[in-house]
Amino acid sequence: MNETTNKTALISRGGGLIDLATRFGFPIVLVLMFVALSSSTNSFFTLDNQMSMLHAMAPIVIIASGMALVVMSGKLDISVGSIAFLSVALGSLLIKQAGWHPVAAYTVTLLIGAVLGAVNGFIVVVLKVNPLITTLGTMIAFRGVALQVTNANVIVLPDEVRKFGNLTFGPVFADVLIAALVLVAVHVLHERTSYGRQITAIGNGETIAARIGLPVGRLVFTNFVLCGVLAAFGGIFAAAQVGSVTTFLGQGLEFTAVAVVVVGGISLFGGQGRILGGVALGALTFEMIRNGLNHLGANPYSYKLFGGVVIFIAMYADALKARSRKSPGGG
Amino acid sequence: MNTSASPELAMTGISKTFPGVVALDQAHLSARAGEATAVMGANGAGKSTLMNVLGGVTRPDAGSIELCGTRIDIASPRDAASHGIAFVHQELTMLPTLSVAENIFIDDFPSKGGLIDRAAIHARCQIILDRLGCTISPDRIVGELSTGDRQMIEIARAMRREPRVIIFDEPTSSLTQPEKRRLFAVIESLKRDGAIILYITHFLDEIFEICERVSVMRGGRTVGGGSIETFKPVDIVRLMLGEVDVGTRLKAPLDERQKTVLEVRGLARGTALQDINFDLYVGEVVGLWGLLGAGRTELARALVGLDPIDHGTIRWHDGTALRPISPHALHKLTGFVTEDRRGEGLLLPLSVNDNLALPSLKRFLNPWGLLNRKPQAALADTMIDRLGIKVSSREQSAGTLSGGNQQKVVLGRWLATEPRLFILDEPTRGLDVSAKTEILKLTAELARSGATVLLISSEIDELMRICDRYLVMVRGAITAELPGSASHAELMDALSAPVASHMTQRARA
Amino acid sequence: MAHEATMPRLSAGFGRHARSVLILALALGIATYLWFYAPSFYRTNNLINVLVQSSSLAVLCIGMAVVMIGGGIDLSLPANMALSAILGGFYMAAGGSPLIGSVIMLASGTAIGMLNGVAVAYLKMIPFVVTLATMTVLNGLSVWLTNSTSVSGFPESFFDVMLARPWGVPTPVIIVAVAIFLASVLMSSTLLGRHVYAVGISPKAAEVARVPVSRTLLLGYGLAGLCAGLTAILLSARLGSASANMGVDSVVLDIVSAVVVGGVSIYGGVGRIWAAALGAVFITLLSNSLNLLGASFYLSLVIKGVVIIGFIALDTAFRGRR
Repeated sequence: MNETTNKTALISRGGGLIDLATRFGFPIVLVLMFVALSSSTNSFFTLDNQMSMLHAMAPIVIIASGMALVVMSGKLDISVGSIAFLSVALGSLLIKQAGWHPVAAYTVTLLIGAVLGAVNGFIVVVLKVNPLITTLGTMIAFRGVALQVTNANVIVLPDEVRKFGNLTFGPVFADVLIAALVLVAVHVLHERTSYGRQITAIGNGETIAARIGLPVGRLVFTNFVLCGVLAAFGGIFAAAQVGSVTTFLGQGLEFTAVAVVVVGGISLFGGQGRILGGVALGALTFEMIRNGLNHLGANPYSYKLFGGVVIFIAMYADALKARSRKSPGGG
Repeated sequence: MNTSASPELAMTGISKTFPGVVALDQAHLSARAGEATAVMGANGAGKSTLMNVLGGVTRPDAGSIELCGTRIDIASPRDAASHGIAFVHQELTMLPTLSVAENIFIDDFPSKGGLIDRAAIHARCQIILDRLGCTISPDRIVGELSTGDRQMIEIARAMRREPRVIIFDEPTSSLTQPEKRRLFAVIESLKRDGAIILYITHFLDEIFEICERVSVMRGGRTVGGGSIETFKPVDIVRLMLGEVDVGTRLKAPLDERQKTVLEVRGLARGTALQDINFDLYVGEVVGLWGLLGAGRTELARALVGLDPIDHGTIRWHDGTALRPISPHALHKLTGFVTEDRRGEGLLLPLSVNDNLALPSLKRFLNPWGLLNRKPQAALADTMIDRLGIKVSSREQSAGTLSGGNQQKVVLGRWLATEPRLFILDEPTRGLDVSAKTEILKLTAELARSGATVLLISSEIDELMRICDRYLVMVRGAITAELPGSASHAELMDALSAPVASHMTQRARA
Repeated sequence: MAHEATMPRLSAGFGRHARSVLILALALGIATYLWFYAPSFYRTNNLINVLVQSSSLAVLCIGMAVVMIGGGIDLSLPANMALSAILGGFYMAAGGSPLIGSVIMLASGTAIGMLNGVAVAYLKMIPFVVTLATMTVLNGLSVWLTNSTSVSGFPESFFDVMLARPWGVPTPVIIVAVAIFLASVLMSSTLLGRHVYAVGISPKAAEVARVPVSRTLLLGYGLAGLCAGLTAILLSARLGSASANMGVDSVVLDIVSAVVVGGVSIYGGVGRIWAAALGAVFITLLSNSLNLLGASFYLSLVIKGVVIIGFIALDTAFRGRR
């Protein structure tokens, strides 16, 4: 008896260590990185640079919030970059070619995001195709449609949109505030509403959720739709910041969004993590790597490599944690 | 108590036929408020189906259910819930990353302005937990709780709707002793509140401790029952398993022991396996006898490294002497037939040929490392012939065979590796009578040809036709060893003996 | 019991049937359309060209088929191929021998594949996400190493061999034919091949049947990496250069659609190498004819996306949920 209690204590201590490393590992690294960058370059720790970092983060924070919801339910949506591209391209064409007001046009963009998310949701829920393959297919298909409708041309956005993209209140960019609002809203949706708790339940185990009597299909579908809307919303800001819709819009975003979510401690196995802190931390990590490498004068392409290493470590930690969760005590 | 009053819950004439199987045949059950009624039965006796009927999971073909004098119709789990029937499933439906309160209210959150009313769920959760005498905070994350605590939360979820009937389906199978005590205390308090408790278990000692009544099922019928005081443990075992016709033995028990093949000392894992010690000798069939949940499958899996072990040593006679061996290494020397034939035993889409050859493929490699088809096919044909496997051709996919033929393929696969030890876990489960006999005959033949067989079966008549020796398992421990000549009664007594002694100890205390 | 036992066979048979009919109908439709609107398609030279064009996709498909039959997926194959081509390309561009350059490509491809294998088999990470990560890292490395330019200036002898046409058949086609043959033999007639199928069907049942599950997975991913290395050789010879662009993500779509059309199940355990390679020819044909018909590259992406999802939906429907 004594021996077994000892053993469980040991296991929980081991789990605690892993937990500690995964929970606080990245914040510690983040702080160290921040200190190192601040002391080794003159340009990094300036108000301007800090604000521009937040500015650059804004679109990805919005998109990653949607991704976080999908990941919470134990699924993945790697079509978010393409949804952003297609929906923003269509909205921007409405402005450029049909002369719509930007507000109306980008409302349509959000609707298109919802429709594209619904396409994913339909394929996953009704056709029962694995969500990974589904969104891999739609990722490339949506991008194809977008390239087709834009003829792979750059759409230059009108000045009012450009201005909005870089609008500031004091030192703070408007889109940073909006992204923060979205993040908080999604966080509240996840933690404080029935919907949020129920998708987390699905992430804990789809069969269990179904057995409890939750409407699994409907929830998963809605979740993809929400993710689509947020992808479109983030896409608008990404385009507004650069003042145009280029063929690169949203490219690689799906991966950054997944990376942000995982580094933020939101488990790819579903059901685990907190959105507000997680997405903020994850986005900050990647932005700091990008920005820091820039200030260190490193080759800008090295960013993908460093980012990739970070995500790999985060995923390994996630897998470890999932394993220690699956085997509690003596089993 | 109110024994004279009519029972508050009465299920009568319940029948249910699934395609090809009569699951319930005029089964009946009655239970009283303020009492716990044990529902006992061997595997496949129909108790789960009967409980599923009550829980609205299964619709019966015939029969009626009366609750407190009114006849009720239960078409869905929702109906059952609305009639105040709650089901605490054996497999917990807990969501580990959510809090206790969230787990209890997950399908029906009280909300205010679109947001979950946390204060309300906290308060309501606290009330339920208090009633259960449970000191867990509603804000704890369920993943951090022990299995016993999770069980409490599962019960708390069932309690949310103030149920009149609570069905416990094998609630103690993974609980530690103190956790079990706590569960029993909760059940006692529920009884005091006037609930009707239905208690399903395989553990005899438990029902004598907390149940007032018992109802025993066998083959889809209710075969006995009444006040628990009128029963002895051995009576219940007899009712559960029936008076069996053992028939003729397929193999006379060995009179003397040959040399040791395998020696197991101090094998243990958690609560599932406790200090297991035994030896196996050449050429014998050893029956691992016990009720479901006694840890037989766990022992078999641990021996061959499919489940981890905490400690213990295994020694294997390699021809010259007994030497320590790891479970993984033992796996390579053992013919292991799992209880889950379709899930783990066979690769269903593959052909009979490929299934038979899978572990012995190395033998058919030519110097280029390529598989030689002819000897592989020859092996398949030999096995098909020797075991009498009925196939249209050796290329038929294993998934399309009947259960008996599938099991023969599994056996044939291991025969081909010529192991000296076989571990067969419920090899005849789900087979028809003639297929069962064939598998048993094969088993006897294996032993006659010098192999050692460790046989797990829930059917006593099967064991009695073939075993040279029995190891009796109760609650994760080997409690007795019986000779092959042991009678039916002796085997039955062996299962209830620990229970009986436990009861006398309690009585003395 | 009997009812239950015969069902899977019936439905599996019908599933296979539906798939073949669908592919045949598609192929026939395309063929007829081309006959009327682009008869030049049927010239021998063009047909050989199609084969050459499909050669690199076919080799990647072999690799993906092995991984998928084992129950996994490797999205990093094109990125792996690009990086391997770049590494070998650097060596050759600096005047190294084509032979060693090719060996470098093969070795780098295999090593990267094994890395994925370790992550999946031993670190128990999710194949899809791991290889998505590897894909990004490798792509980043490629762009970084090349500064987003292409590596060229390979020795003539490299092209002499790779662009030759012994007996009128281009070298790449011969190499692919040999690769298909070897991979088919490997999958059907070696221990590893049989183990890959077993693991893909059910890792649990495979473990009970004494199959070394982790090692099998590792080698499967390694083999896929080797295929990426081989493709690196073929493609860098055809393009005369190596660049990060070789591994754009639309190639992933091509591979997955080809393999799925070729009858490999994304659920593992089912598939044949030659059929997957045939899927590659089909997808190349589809791209070509869409091109000939004036559809843009972008539209063809959409069509391929639909093809993947359609085939998998079919697969899922006939197989029932896992």
